[in-house]
Amino acid sequence: MDSQWQIYQVFEKERADLPHRNAGSVHASDAEMALENARDVFVRRPNCLSLWVVPERAIFSKTVEELQDNAWRTEMQNTSAEESYLVFQKQGQTARETFVVHVGDVAANSPQQALERALETFDDKNVFVWWIVPERAIIKNEASDAPSMFEPAHWKKYRNHLSYPVEPIMRELKSAQEMLEE
Amino acid sequence: MSEQEKLQEFEARIARGEKIEPGDWMPEEYRKQLIRMISQHAHSEIVGMLPEGAWITRAPTLRRKITLLAKVQDEGGHGQYLYHAAETLGATRAEMIDALLTGKAKYASVFNYPSLTWADMGMIGWLVDGAAIMNQTMLAHCSYGPYSRAMVRICTEETFHKKQGMEQVIKYARGTPPQKAMVQDALNRWWWPVLMMFGPHDSNSPNSAQLIRWGVKTKTNDELRQEFINKTAPDLQLLGLKIPDPALHYDEASDNWISGEIDWDEFWRVVKGDGPCNKERLAARRDAHENGAWVREALNAYAERFEGEG
Repeated sequence: MDSQWQIYQVFEKERADLPHRNAGSVHASDAEMALENARDVFVRRPNCLSLWVVPERAIFSKTVEELQDNAWRTEMQNTSAEESYLVFQKQGQTARETFVVHVGDVAANSPQQALERALETFDDKNVFVWWIVPERAIIKNEASDAPSMFEPAHWKKYRNHLSYPVEPIMRELKSAQEMLEE
Repeated sequence: MSEQEKLQEFEARIARGEKIEPGDWMPEEYRKQLIRMISQHAHSEIVGMLPEGAWITRAPTLRRKITLLAKVQDEGGHGQYLYHAAETLGATRAEMIDALLTGKAKYASVFNYPSLTWADMGMIGWLVDGAAIMNQTMLAHCSYGPYSRAMVRICTEETFHKKQGMEQVIKYARGTPPQKAMVQDALNRWWWPVLMMFGPHDSNSPNSAQLIRWGVKTKTNDELRQEFINKTAPDLQLLGLKIPDPALHYDEASDNWISGEIDWDEFWRVVKGDGPCNKERLAARRDAHENGAWVREALNAYAERFEGEG
Protein backbone atom coordinates (compact mmCIF):
# COMPACT_ATOMS: atom_id res chain seq x y z
CA MET A 1 0.00 0.00 0.00
CA ASP A 2 2.80 2.42 0.90
CA SER A 3 4.60 2.22 -2.39
CA GLN A 4 7.44 4.66 -2.73
CA TRP A 5 6.21 7.78 -4.50
CA GLN A 6 8.45 9.10 -7.18
CA ILE A 7 11.09 11.69 -6.47
CA TYR A 8 10.88 15.19 -7.92
CA GLN A 9 13.90 17.46 -7.93
CA VAL A 10 13.05 20.98 -6.77
CA PHE A 11 14.49 24.19 -8.22
CA GLU A 12 13.98 27.61 -6.72
CA LYS A 13 14.83 31.07 -7.93
CA GLU A 14 15.78 33.17 -4.94
CA ARG A 15 16.50 36.52 -6.59
CA ALA A 16 15.76 38.11 -9.95
CA ASP A 17 19.46 38.11 -10.86
CA LEU A 18 20.04 34.45 -9.88
CA PRO A 19 19.24 31.35 -11.95
CA HIS A 20 16.98 28.54 -10.76
CA ARG A 21 18.96 26.38 -8.38
CA ASN A 22 18.37 22.87 -7.04
CA ALA A 23 17.07 23.07 -3.47
CA GLY A 24 16.63 19.34 -2.83
CA SER A 25 13.89 16.88 -3.63
CA VAL A 26 10.41 15.87 -2.55
CA HIS A 27 8.27 12.77 -2.97
CA ALA A 28 4.82 13.10 -4.41
CA SER A 29 2.02 11.12 -5.98
CA ASP A 30 1.77 13.58 -8.89
CA ALA A 31 3.25 16.79 -10.25
CA GLU A 32 0.73 19.09 -8.63
CA MET A 33 1.37 17.61 -5.18
CA ALA A 34 5.10 17.78 -5.85
CA LEU A 35 4.83 21.53 -6.35
CA GLU A 36 2.72 21.90 -3.19
CA ASN A 37 5.15 19.81 -1.14
CA ALA A 38 8.11 21.74 -2.52
CA ARG A 39 6.46 24.96 -1.47
CA ASP A 40 5.85 23.73 2.08
CA VAL A 41 9.28 22.15 2.50
CA PHE A 42 11.50 24.78 0.87
CA VAL A 43 9.63 28.10 0.87
CA ARG A 44 8.67 28.79 4.47
CA ARG A 45 10.79 31.96 4.38
CA PRO A 46 10.87 34.89 1.97
CA ASN A 47 13.44 33.89 -0.59
CA CYS A 48 11.57 32.53 -3.57
CA LEU A 49 10.35 34.08 -6.82
CA SER A 50 9.70 30.93 -8.82
CA LEU A 51 9.56 27.21 -8.12
CA TRP A 52 10.02 24.25 -10.50
CA VAL A 53 9.75 20.52 -9.95
CA VAL A 54 11.08 17.82 -12.29
CA PRO A 55 10.43 14.06 -12.03
CA GLU A 56 13.84 12.58 -11.32
CA ARG A 57 13.42 9.96 -14.05
CA ALA A 58 13.15 12.77 -16.66
CA ILE A 59 16.68 13.97 -15.88
CA PHE A 60 19.51 12.81 -18.15
CA SER A 61 22.59 13.10 -15.94
CA LYS A 62 26.28 12.62 -16.72
CA THR A 63 29.28 13.21 -14.49
CA VAL A 64 32.48 14.55 -16.06
CA GLU A 65 34.05 11.12 -15.46
CA GLU A 66 31.25 9.47 -17.41
CA LEU A 67 31.81 11.93 -20.24
CA GLN A 68 35.44 10.85 -20.59
CA ASP A 69 34.53 7.77 -22.53
CA ASN A 70 32.26 8.34 -25.46
CA ALA A 71 29.89 5.43 -24.87
CA TRP A 72 27.03 7.81 -24.05
CA ARG A 73 27.21 9.32 -27.54
CA THR A 74 26.36 5.99 -29.12
CA GLU A 75 23.23 5.80 -26.98
CA MET A 76 21.99 8.64 -29.11
CA GLN A 77 18.57 8.23 -30.66
CA ASN A 78 17.48 10.99 -32.97
CA THR A 79 13.97 9.73 -33.36
CA SER A 80 11.86 12.42 -31.75
CA ALA A 81 11.18 15.89 -33.09
CA GLU A 82 13.40 18.75 -32.04
CA GLU A 83 12.37 20.30 -28.73
CA SER A 84 13.75 22.55 -26.01
CA TYR A 85 16.00 21.14 -23.29
CA LEU A 86 17.13 22.90 -20.13
CA VAL A 87 20.78 22.57 -19.19
CA PHE A 88 21.88 22.39 -15.55
CA GLN A 89 25.39 22.19 -14.15
CA LYS A 90 26.59 21.05 -10.76
CA GLN A 91 29.34 23.50 -9.98
CA GLY A 92 31.95 24.26 -7.38
CA GLN A 93 32.91 20.93 -5.92
CA THR A 94 35.19 22.25 -3.21
CA ALA A 95 32.92 24.96 -1.90
CA ARG A 96 30.39 24.41 0.84
CA GLU A 97 27.89 25.86 -1.60
CA THR A 98 27.74 23.20 -4.26
CA PHE A 99 24.56 23.46 -6.29
CA VAL A 100 22.98 22.35 -9.51
CA VAL A 101 22.10 25.55 -11.37
CA HIS A 102 20.22 26.27 -14.57
CA VAL A 103 22.67 27.70 -17.13
CA GLY A 104 20.55 27.89 -20.28
CA ASP A 105 18.56 26.05 -22.92
CA VAL A 106 19.33 24.20 -26.16
CA ALA A 107 17.15 22.75 -28.92
CA ALA A 108 17.77 19.08 -29.77
CA ASN A 109 15.98 15.90 -30.70
CA SER A 110 17.30 13.72 -27.85
CA PRO A 111 18.81 14.27 -24.40
CA GLN A 112 22.15 13.01 -25.73
CA GLN A 113 22.13 15.51 -28.56
CA ALA A 114 21.11 18.23 -26.10
CA LEU A 115 24.12 17.34 -23.95
CA GLU A 116 26.44 17.46 -26.98
CA ARG A 117 25.15 20.90 -27.83
CA ALA A 118 25.38 22.01 -24.19
CA LEU A 119 29.04 20.93 -24.09
CA GLU A 120 29.69 23.10 -27.17
CA THR A 121 27.67 26.03 -25.89
CA PHE A 122 28.37 26.45 -22.17
CA ASP A 123 31.51 27.01 -20.16
CA ASP A 124 32.50 23.77 -18.40
CA LYS A 125 35.00 25.20 -15.95
CA ASN A 126 34.32 23.93 -12.43
CA VAL A 127 31.47 21.69 -13.65
CA PHE A 128 31.34 18.13 -12.46
CA VAL A 129 27.85 16.97 -13.37
CA TRP A 130 25.51 17.90 -16.24
CA TRP A 131 21.74 17.53 -16.04
CA ILE A 132 19.64 17.70 -19.21
CA VAL A 133 15.86 18.05 -18.87
CA PRO A 134 13.26 18.36 -21.64
CA GLU A 135 11.35 21.57 -20.99
CA ARG A 136 8.01 19.77 -21.21
CA ALA A 137 8.97 17.67 -18.14
CA ILE A 138 9.34 20.75 -15.95
CA ILE A 139 6.38 21.73 -13.80
CA LYS A 140 6.50 25.42 -12.97
CA ASN A 141 4.31 27.38 -10.61
CA GLU A 142 1.71 29.46 -12.46
CA ALA A 143 2.67 33.12 -12.44
CA SER A 144 -0.80 33.91 -11.09
CA ASP A 145 -0.16 31.56 -8.11
CA ALA A 146 3.10 33.25 -7.17
CA PRO A 147 1.57 35.81 -4.77
CA SER A 148 -0.35 33.18 -2.80
CA MET A 149 2.61 30.78 -2.76
CA PHE A 150 5.47 33.13 -1.93
CA GLU A 151 4.17 36.37 -0.45
CA PRO A 152 2.76 35.17 2.89
CA ALA A 153 6.32 34.37 3.99
CA HIS A 154 7.16 38.07 3.79
CA TRP A 155 4.94 39.16 6.64
CA LYS A 156 5.80 36.18 8.86
CA LYS A 157 8.47 38.17 10.64
CA TYR A 158 8.17 35.90 13.65
CA ARG A 159 9.96 33.20 11.64
CA ASN A 160 13.09 35.35 11.59
CA HIS A 161 15.57 35.24 14.44
CA LEU A 162 15.91 39.03 14.23
CA SER A 163 12.47 39.27 15.84
CA TYR A 164 14.00 37.96 19.07
CA PRO A 165 16.67 40.48 20.13
CA VAL A 166 18.10 38.51 23.05
CA GLU A 167 21.76 39.51 22.71
CA PRO A 168 21.33 43.15 23.80
CA ILE A 169 19.51 41.98 26.96
CA MET A 170 22.27 39.51 27.80
CA ARG A 171 24.97 42.13 27.12
CA GLU A 172 23.19 44.58 29.42
CA LEU A 173 22.94 42.00 32.19
CA LYS A 174 26.59 41.16 31.78
CA SER A 175 27.81 44.74 32.04
CA ALA A 176 25.55 45.31 35.06
CA GLN A 177 27.11 42.29 36.75
CA GLU A 178 30.63 43.44 35.91
CA MET A 179 29.90 46.83 37.42
CA LEU A 180 28.69 45.14 40.60
CA GLU A 181 31.85 43.06 40.79
CA GLU A 182 34.01 46.17 40.46
CA MET B 1 41.01 0.92 -10.32
CA SER B 2 41.21 -1.58 -7.47
CA GLU B 3 39.06 -1.10 -4.37
CA GLN B 4 42.18 -0.03 -2.49
CA GLU B 5 42.97 2.65 -5.06
CA LYS B 6 39.38 3.86 -5.04
CA LEU B 7 39.52 4.18 -1.26
CA GLN B 8 42.78 6.13 -1.48
CA GLU B 9 41.30 8.48 -4.08
CA PHE B 10 38.15 8.89 -1.95
CA GLU B 11 40.17 9.76 1.14
CA ALA B 12 42.35 12.13 -0.89
CA ARG B 13 39.25 13.95 -2.12
CA ILE B 14 38.05 14.40 1.45
CA ALA B 15 41.51 15.58 2.53
CA ARG B 16 41.36 18.21 -0.24
CA GLY B 17 38.04 19.41 1.20
CA GLU B 18 35.92 18.18 -1.70
CA LYS B 19 32.31 17.19 -1.20
CA ILE B 20 31.25 13.63 -1.93
CA GLU B 21 28.10 13.68 -4.04
CA PRO B 22 25.38 11.08 -4.76
CA GLY B 23 26.62 8.67 -7.41
CA ASP B 24 30.30 9.15 -6.49
CA TRP B 25 32.23 6.09 -5.39
CA MET B 26 32.26 5.72 -1.60
CA PRO B 27 33.21 2.95 0.82
CA GLU B 28 30.22 0.87 1.87
CA GLU B 29 30.92 1.77 5.48
CA TYR B 30 30.72 5.51 4.69
CA ARG B 31 27.34 4.99 3.03
CA LYS B 32 26.12 2.87 5.93
CA GLN B 33 27.23 5.28 8.63
CA LEU B 34 25.72 8.25 6.80
CA ILE B 35 22.37 6.53 6.30
CA ARG B 36 22.38 5.67 10.01
CA MET B 37 23.23 9.22 11.07
CA ILE B 38 21.00 11.09 8.63
CA SER B 39 17.94 8.90 9.18
CA GLN B 40 18.36 9.13 12.98
CA HIS B 41 18.63 12.87 12.57
CA ALA B 42 15.45 12.93 10.44
CA HIS B 43 13.57 10.81 12.99
CA SER B 44 14.71 13.20 15.74
CA GLU B 45 13.21 16.15 13.89
CA ILE B 46 9.91 14.34 13.41
CA VAL B 47 9.64 12.94 16.96
CA GLY B 48 10.89 16.32 18.22
CA MET B 49 7.63 17.87 17.02
CA LEU B 50 5.72 15.98 19.74
CA PRO B 51 6.84 17.52 23.06
CA GLU B 52 6.25 21.02 21.67
CA GLY B 53 3.21 20.18 19.58
CA ALA B 54 1.52 19.24 22.85
CA TRP B 55 1.62 22.89 23.98
CA ILE B 56 0.38 24.67 20.83
CA THR B 57 -3.22 24.78 22.06
CA ARG B 58 -2.10 26.04 25.48
CA ALA B 59 0.15 28.90 24.40
CA PRO B 60 -0.25 31.94 26.69
CA THR B 61 -0.57 34.51 23.87
CA LEU B 62 -1.29 34.50 20.14
CA ARG B 63 2.27 35.62 19.41
CA ARG B 64 3.66 32.64 21.31
CA LYS B 65 1.20 30.39 19.53
CA ILE B 66 2.16 31.38 15.96
CA THR B 67 5.83 31.23 16.93
CA LEU B 68 5.48 27.72 18.32
CA LEU B 69 3.42 26.62 15.31
CA ALA B 70 6.11 27.96 12.97
CA LYS B 71 8.85 26.22 14.95
CA VAL B 72 7.08 22.86 14.95
CA GLN B 73 6.39 23.23 11.21
CA ASP B 74 10.09 23.92 10.66
CA GLU B 75 10.99 20.68 12.47
CA GLY B 76 8.69 18.79 10.11
CA GLY B 77 10.42 20.47 7.16
CA HIS B 78 13.84 19.58 8.56
CA GLY B 79 12.76 15.96 8.79
CA GLN B 80 11.86 16.13 5.09
CA TYR B 81 15.21 17.66 4.02
CA LEU B 82 16.99 14.93 5.94
CA TYR B 83 14.97 11.97 4.69
CA HIS B 84 15.72 13.19 1.17
CA ALA B 85 19.42 13.47 1.93
CA ALA B 86 19.36 9.85 3.18
CA GLU B 87 17.52 8.76 0.04
CA THR B 88 20.35 10.05 -2.14
CA LEU B 89 22.40 7.24 -0.54
CA GLY B 90 19.89 4.56 -1.55
CA ALA B 91 17.76 4.32 1.60
CA THR B 92 14.02 4.32 0.91
CA ARG B 93 11.43 6.32 2.82
CA ALA B 94 9.39 3.21 3.56
CA GLU B 95 12.41 1.44 5.12
CA MET B 96 13.29 4.42 7.25
CA ILE B 97 9.74 5.02 8.51
CA ASP B 98 9.39 1.32 9.22
CA ALA B 99 12.63 1.31 11.20
CA LEU B 100 11.32 4.21 13.31
CA LEU B 101 7.86 2.77 13.90
CA THR B 102 9.14 -0.69 14.85
CA GLY B 103 11.67 0.80 17.27
CA LYS B 104 14.69 -0.41 15.29
CA ALA B 105 15.92 3.11 14.54
CA LYS B 106 17.06 5.54 17.20
CA TYR B 107 16.27 9.22 17.57
CA ALA B 108 17.52 11.89 19.97
CA SER B 109 16.77 10.50 23.42
CA VAL B 110 16.00 13.99 24.78
CA PHE B 111 12.56 13.79 23.15
CA ASN B 112 11.66 10.91 25.42
CA TYR B 113 11.27 13.36 28.31
CA PRO B 114 7.90 15.00 28.93
CA SER B 115 7.14 18.70 28.52
CA LEU B 116 5.27 19.54 31.72
CA THR B 117 4.86 23.33 31.76
CA TRP B 118 4.91 26.26 29.36
CA ALA B 119 8.40 27.16 30.64
CA ASP B 120 9.58 23.94 28.99
CA MET B 121 8.88 25.58 25.60
CA GLY B 122 11.45 28.25 26.39
CA MET B 123 13.95 25.80 27.83
CA ILE B 124 13.63 23.36 24.91
CA GLY B 125 14.08 26.18 22.40
CA TRP B 126 17.17 27.54 24.10
CA LEU B 127 18.88 24.36 25.28
CA VAL B 128 17.70 21.54 22.99
CA ASP B 129 17.82 23.63 19.82
CA GLY B 130 20.99 25.33 21.06
CA ALA B 131 22.67 21.93 21.48
CA ALA B 132 21.34 20.82 18.10
CA ILE B 133 22.82 23.94 16.47
CA MET B 134 26.30 23.08 17.81
CA ASN B 135 26.10 19.63 16.28
CA GLN B 136 24.53 20.87 13.06
CA THR B 137 26.99 23.72 12.55
CA MET B 138 29.70 21.07 12.60
CA LEU B 139 27.74 18.85 10.20
CA ALA B 140 27.32 21.77 7.77
CA HIS B 141 31.03 21.14 7.01
CA CYS B 142 30.43 17.42 6.55
CA SER B 143 32.04 15.74 3.53
CA TYR B 144 28.74 14.45 2.11
CA GLY B 145 27.25 17.23 -0.07
CA PRO B 146 23.49 16.68 0.38
CA TYR B 147 23.84 16.35 4.18
CA SER B 148 25.98 19.46 4.47
CA ARG B 149 23.59 21.51 2.31
CA ALA B 150 20.58 20.37 4.36
CA MET B 151 22.46 21.48 7.48
CA VAL B 152 23.18 24.96 6.11
CA ARG B 153 19.45 25.44 5.58
CA ILE B 154 18.52 23.95 8.93
CA CYS B 155 21.02 25.98 10.97
CA THR B 156 19.61 29.26 9.69
CA GLU B 157 16.14 28.23 10.80
CA GLU B 158 17.27 26.79 14.13
CA THR B 159 18.71 30.15 15.10
CA PHE B 160 15.12 31.41 15.24
CA HIS B 161 14.16 28.40 17.35
CA LYS B 162 16.89 29.00 19.87
CA LYS B 163 16.32 32.73 20.19
CA GLN B 164 12.56 32.51 20.64
CA GLY B 165 13.22 30.04 23.46
CA MET B 166 15.89 32.19 25.02
CA GLU B 167 13.54 35.19 24.92
CA GLN B 168 10.95 33.26 26.92
CA VAL B 169 13.46 32.01 29.48
CA ILE B 170 14.74 35.58 29.96
CA LYS B 171 11.16 36.84 30.47
CA TYR B 172 10.35 34.19 33.06
CA ALA B 173 13.71 34.44 34.82
CA ARG B 174 13.07 38.17 35.31
CA GLY B 175 9.35 37.72 35.95
CA THR B 176 7.13 37.03 38.97
CA PRO B 177 8.21 34.54 41.68
CA PRO B 178 5.94 31.79 40.27
CA GLN B 179 7.39 32.37 36.77
CA LYS B 180 10.92 32.20 38.16
CA ALA B 181 10.09 28.97 39.98
CA MET B 182 8.55 27.50 36.82
CA VAL B 183 11.57 28.26 34.66
CA GLN B 184 13.98 26.98 37.32
CA ASP B 185 12.01 23.74 37.46
CA ALA B 186 12.25 23.47 33.66
CA LEU B 187 16.03 23.90 33.83
CA ASN B 188 16.25 21.29 36.58
CA ARG B 189 14.54 18.73 34.37
CA TRP B 190 16.15 19.55 30.98
CA TRP B 191 19.80 20.30 31.80
CA TRP B 192 21.06 16.72 32.07
CA PRO B 193 19.02 15.25 29.21
CA VAL B 194 20.39 18.06 27.00
CA LEU B 195 24.01 17.26 27.94
CA MET B 196 23.27 13.65 27.02
CA MET B 197 22.20 14.78 23.53
CA PHE B 198 25.86 14.95 22.50
CA GLY B 199 26.12 11.19 22.94
CA PRO B 200 28.44 8.93 24.93
CA HIS B 201 31.96 9.91 25.99
CA ASP B 202 34.54 9.78 23.21
CA SER B 203 36.01 6.69 24.88
CA ASN B 204 32.63 4.94 24.37
CA SER B 205 31.90 6.25 20.90
CA PRO B 206 33.25 3.54 18.60
CA ASN B 207 32.30 5.23 15.30
CA SER B 208 33.81 8.63 16.05
CA ALA B 209 37.39 8.11 14.86
CA GLN B 210 36.38 6.86 11.43
CA LEU B 211 33.66 9.48 11.02
CA ILE B 212 36.21 12.19 11.76
CA ARG B 213 38.73 10.64 9.33
CA TRP B 214 36.07 10.70 6.59
CA GLY B 215 35.10 14.28 7.29
CA VAL B 216 31.58 13.41 8.44
CA LYS B 217 32.23 14.81 11.89
CA THR B 218 34.96 17.32 12.62
CA LYS B 219 34.56 17.40 16.41
CA THR B 220 34.06 14.70 19.02
CA ASN B 221 31.02 14.32 21.28
CA ASP B 222 32.94 15.56 24.31
CA GLU B 223 34.34 18.57 22.45
CA LEU B 224 30.87 19.64 21.33
CA ARG B 225 29.42 19.06 24.81
CA GLN B 226 32.16 21.21 26.37
CA GLU B 227 31.56 23.97 23.84
CA PHE B 228 27.85 23.92 24.68
CA ILE B 229 28.43 24.09 28.45
CA ASN B 230 30.92 26.96 28.05
CA LYS B 231 28.47 28.90 25.92
CA THR B 232 25.32 28.25 27.94
CA ALA B 233 26.25 27.94 31.63
CA PRO B 234 27.38 31.59 32.12
CA ASP B 235 24.21 32.95 30.45
CA LEU B 236 21.87 30.80 32.55
CA GLN B 237 23.65 31.89 35.73
CA LEU B 238 23.62 35.52 34.65
CA LEU B 239 19.82 35.25 34.62
CA GLY B 240 19.90 34.06 38.24
CA LEU B 241 19.10 30.46 37.36
CA LYS B 242 20.77 27.62 39.20
CA ILE B 243 22.22 24.81 37.09
CA PRO B 244 21.34 21.46 38.76
CA ASP B 245 24.93 20.26 39.00
CA PRO B 246 26.71 20.88 42.34
CA ALA B 247 30.03 19.89 40.74
CA LEU B 248 29.84 22.48 37.95
CA HIS B 249 32.72 24.95 38.22
CA TYR B 250 34.83 27.25 36.12
CA ASP B 251 38.38 26.08 35.52
CA GLU B 252 40.63 29.05 34.88
CA ALA B 253 43.55 27.01 33.54
CA SER B 254 41.55 25.49 30.67
CA ASP B 255 38.98 28.32 30.43
CA ASN B 256 36.27 25.65 30.61
CA TRP B 257 33.16 25.12 32.70
CA ILE B 258 33.66 21.62 34.08
CA SER B 259 30.50 19.63 34.76
CA GLY B 260 29.85 16.70 37.03
CA GLU B 261 29.51 13.19 35.62
CA ILE B 262 26.48 12.40 33.50
CA ASP B 263 24.25 9.56 34.70
CA TRP B 264 25.15 7.16 31.88
CA ASP B 265 22.86 4.45 33.22
CA GLU B 266 19.95 6.80 32.63
CA PHE B 267 21.30 7.68 29.17
CA TRP B 268 21.48 4.03 28.05
CA ARG B 269 18.12 3.20 29.64
CA VAL B 270 16.41 5.96 27.63
CA VAL B 271 18.31 5.14 24.42
CA LYS B 272 17.27 1.51 24.76
CA GLY B 273 13.59 2.42 24.98
CA ASP B 274 12.90 2.75 28.69
CA GLY B 275 12.64 6.53 29.10
CA PRO B 276 9.62 8.36 30.51
CA CYS B 277 7.93 8.84 27.08
CA ASN B 278 9.47 6.35 24.62
CA LYS B 279 6.29 4.32 24.27
CA GLU B 280 4.07 7.39 24.04
CA ARG B 281 6.26 8.97 21.32
CA LEU B 282 6.30 5.86 19.14
CA ALA B 283 2.58 5.31 19.64
CA ALA B 284 1.94 8.89 18.48
CA ARG B 285 4.06 8.34 15.35
CA ARG B 286 2.35 5.02 14.60
CA ASP B 287 -1.09 6.62 15.01
CA ALA B 288 -0.11 9.46 12.68
CA HIS B 289 1.16 6.98 10.10
CA GLU B 290 -1.88 4.73 10.29
CA ASN B 291 -4.40 7.56 10.44
CA GLY B 292 -2.76 9.14 7.38
CA ALA B 293 -3.08 5.96 5.30
CA TRP B 294 -6.38 7.05 3.72
CA VAL B 295 -4.79 10.32 2.56
CA ARG B 296 -1.97 8.43 0.84
CA GLU B 297 -4.50 6.05 -0.73
CA ALA B 298 -6.57 8.96 -2.02
CA LEU B 299 -3.49 10.64 -3.49
CA ASN B 300 -2.48 7.41 -5.21
CA ALA B 301 -5.98 6.91 -6.62
CA TYR B 302 -6.01 10.48 -7.93
CA ALA B 303 -2.54 10.12 -9.45
CA GLU B 304 -3.53 6.89 -11.20
CA ARG B 305 -6.62 8.49 -12.69
CA PHE B 306 -4.68 11.56 -13.69
CA GLU B 307 -2.01 9.43 -15.37
CA GLY B 308 -4.68 7.45 -17.20
CA GLU B 309 -6.20 10.60 -18.60
CA GLY B 310 -2.87 12.19 -19.40
